[in-house]
Amino acid sequence: MGIMFGEDGYPVGKKSTGGNYKVLIIDDSQFIIKQLSQIFMSRDFEVVGTAQNGKEGLALYKSVYPNIDMVTLDITMPEMDGLETLQRIREADPNAVIIMATALGTADAVKEAIKLGAKGYIVKPLDREKVLERVGQILK
Amino acid sequence: MRIEYINPFVEAAFDILNEILDTSVKRGQLYLKKLGESMKGIAVVIGVTGQVTGRIVFDMTEDTAIKITSKLNDEEFKDFHEMARSTIAELANMITGRAVTKLEKEGLAFSFTPPTIITGTNLNIHEPTGEMEALIIPIDSGLGIVEINIAFKE
Repeated sequence: MGIMFGEDGYPVGKKSTGGNYKVLIIDDSQFIIKQLSQIFMSRDFEVVGTAQNGKEGLALYKSVYPNIDMVTLDITMPEMDGLETLQRIREADPNAVIIMATALGTADAVKEAIKLGAKGYIVKPLDREKVLERVGQILK
Repeated sequence: MRIEYINPFVEAAFDILNEILDTSVKRGQLYLKKLGESMKGIAVVIGVTGQVTGRIVFDMTEDTAIKITSKLNDEEFKDFHEMARSTIAELANMITGRAVTKLEKEGLAFSFTPPTIITGTNLNIHEPTGEMEALIIPIDSGLGIVEINIAFKE
């Protein structure tokens, strides 16, 4: 399922087959949820839900499935951390597109997430252009 | 406390504050502080385990915390409410995350806990064994001083 790109080269949250790209944001920080929501909504992505821990995020994923195209997932979270959440979502949906949103850069936890099936990662602090560029590369 | 464990935190704090605040950030002189001395009012505590155990405290006045969080949210906050708390906790998380990434590149393994915020005046942090001293790195964020207070034990 392709994603459309704007003339500026950044993704627009529309599918080539029609309809908005649907995103779920899982992060224990309200600040990051707000930032990511603003970035995605500015490009017509539809934020279908947000959760502040992995347990809620997993339940939310299952409740919106199959009307979900992408998840951004924090790594360090209370309740259920990002790595466990990643595995549990992929058990429920092996085709889930999950992008880690982390302050950890290239640290071991990020490498582990990629091994476990994450499609890529974006690094905090979040920069709007960098986030869109990275998400565009991953969804191409 | 080995300097190679400390430097990544100093660099990460300086770099991230510079990147996101768009102010003139300046690094102050490092100094040692005995645990038990009072904090400034807002303390974000992150526990660290791995090659060392200990904790990092990001210590600032409420006024500084409000100014920084207002700037990051592009909105004038009047008090240190939920979104302000979330923002300052995430800032501490980002600095710690970047420092841990730098340490892992040096072959050192660390992991850290989600941040906890403690607020209040005349706040003291104690370490029961009395074995640890804290190293303080003052950073002038351009919106007030943020002291990074590190106590690690090998």
